[in-house]
Amino acid sequence: MSWGLVWLVAFAVALASFVLISLAIAVRGVGEIRELFAALEEERRRKPS
Amino acid sequence: MSAAAIVSRFSLLDAGIAAASLAVTLWIGVRVKRYIGTIEDYLVASRGMGLYVGAASLLSTEVGIITYMYQAQFGFVAGFSAFVVGLITLAVCLVVGRTGFVITRLREMKILTVPEYFEKRYGRGVRVLAGVLMAFGGSLNLGIFPIIEARFLAIVTGIPARYLGWTMAGLLLVALAYTAIGGMVSLIVTNYVQYVFLAAGTVVVTLVCLREVGWGEMVRAVDGHMGGHGFNPVKDLGVGFIVWQVLLWIALMTVWQSVAMRTFSTKDPAVGKKMFTLTGFLFLGRALIPMVWGIAALAFFWGRAEPATTAGATPNAEVAQLAARLDETYHADLDSGRLGRALPQVDLLERLAGQDQSRSPEAARLEASARDRRGEIGLLAMPWMLAATLPTGLLGLVVAGMLAASVSTYAGYFLSWASIIAQDVVGPALSSRGAPARRGAEGSADGDGRSFGTGPRGVPQDDRRSLLLTRVTVVALTVFIMIWSLAYHLPGPAYFYLQVTANLFMAPTLIAVVGGLYWRRSSATGAVLCFVLGALASLAYLVPALKLDVATAGNLSWALAVAGFVLGSLLVPPAAQREEAAT
Repeated sequence: MSWGLVWLVAFAVALASFVLISLAIAVRGVGEIRELFAALEEERRRKPS
Repeated sequence: MSAAAIVSRFSLLDAGIAAASLAVTLWIGVRVKRYIGTIEDYLVASRGMGLYVGAASLLSTEVGIITYMYQAQFGFVAGFSAFVVGLITLAVCLVVGRTGFVITRLREMKILTVPEYFEKRYGRGVRVLAGVLMAFGGSLNLGIFPIIEARFLAIVTGIPARYLGWTMAGLLLVALAYTAIGGMVSLIVTNYVQYVFLAAGTVVVTLVCLREVGWGEMVRAVDGHMGGHGFNPVKDLGVGFIVWQVLLWIALMTVWQSVAMRTFSTKDPAVGKKMFTLTGFLFLGRALIPMVWGIAALAFFWGRAEPATTAGATPNAEVAQLAARLDETYHADLDSGRLGRALPQVDLLERLAGQDQSRSPEAARLEASARDRRGEIGLLAMPWMLAATLPTGLLGLVVAGMLAASVSTYAGYFLSWASIIAQDVVGPALSSRGAPARRGAEGSADGDGRSFGTGPRGVPQDDRRSLLLTRVTVVALTVFIMIWSLAYHLPGPAYFYLQVTANLFMAPTLIAVVGGLYWRRSSATGAVLCFVLGALASLAYLVPALKLDVATAGNLSWALAVAGFVLGSLLVPPAAQREEAAT
């Protein structure tokens, strides 16, 4: 296999995984942020400063 | 034929899109203030970060305009061989994610900063020494980000030079506002929004590159321009460079404070490991995608090149004539995007000066100067290509993505280096003699299974003082970065400056952490020697008489740091072992 082909495959994997993981982050991230806020709110109620 | 100057099509609409993205980020960032009660909320978001926002936060912090610029520059000057760095990053992330090497142990200890571990393992002196080196190297490293990024914004948006300082100050203030107020919680939330902009901008630019230039043309440009180089990384970059990159990336992924803070912020060690596996593929894109932009820029300008000619009677006269012509036109060409004219002249000068049989000092100087100029063209070729090809509207989206990348990096680094300055340098100096700088880690154990002290958590007085100190440090660091970026003139390629400032502490930090976690005999004396020798080896790069290249200085730093650590630990073992031996 030539170097040219190796780099083409590497770039295709990089771009495809970047797009797919970015979509997953965009979709799943909102729920995780809500969970984080809920956890911080809960802790704030438990430990008033 | 004369190459035409490039004029950006950045319009009011584009400015509106970019400004709106910043306003949304700022608004979201300052709204989370109410969640911040303790220093643990502020620095590690109460360790509640999930997998996907963790990956977004990690990547947003480690991708700025400067990252895209130097990766594109690397692709421009080294061709496809540069891709090896991306593959190394992926491999390191997968191994760290799979094995939990270093990160799992550190996450289990519930520490806030990497130097905090050194106090637990070696004592306060090592914590402060490591903190000083990290704060110094890290702040100087961050200090040139605005200088480089201002050049990108000037080219792509066409902002006049007199407004650039204010533009960069505005960006730093946006990052400062929400970082100082909301700390890591602000960062996580804004990083998510910024990641969406960043990813959209990245995809748009990649599609534009593939449409304007195409893969086949990129391959032909590298093949034709680099004379048989640009494909085989071992032949082009050397084994020494590859080994150094492997070591550097292991250190970056485990003990670089901004990355380590994301590990410390995860819900649990298992999420931390998964985050690295997921992020490995994003880091592969972080390297390869902008490198392709750089190669596309090479093909773009090579396709529009004006052939350089010389008419001197002798080779020496030709070189002198070409050098004089470049001195006249180079900066004007670079500032107006006429890279199709500057690039062939620089290439020809480098080739002719390199062929000089006499190898006179003047020929060597001209060859080195041509190489530096080719590097500078490589740094600016990608933004000039974007200015030439992106239409109104898309330009705004791309600039919004780049500003998001930039502001998230500033914010992430402000918090990282400020946390070290406040917690590991200033904090210990202010705290009462013998008392720990922060009480918080509980029930954790070092590599030998020994238990660390379990102090009371969340003392309100300590927390308030720690929070105030860290916030003040964030503000002070921002002021320093503003002044440094306005006053400092970069003497050489940005890439080398960034590597030297990071090398100052990278090798010793990883070695002292790994030794402390996995080797019973490691001692404070070994750790001190490790930091001193590792830092000195990095600084040796700055001594011209030694003629060390950046990779050799990097590898020397690793070798001396290991030697110092092992020798120091064997000669002066830890106190517990000395007592054991005495009885």
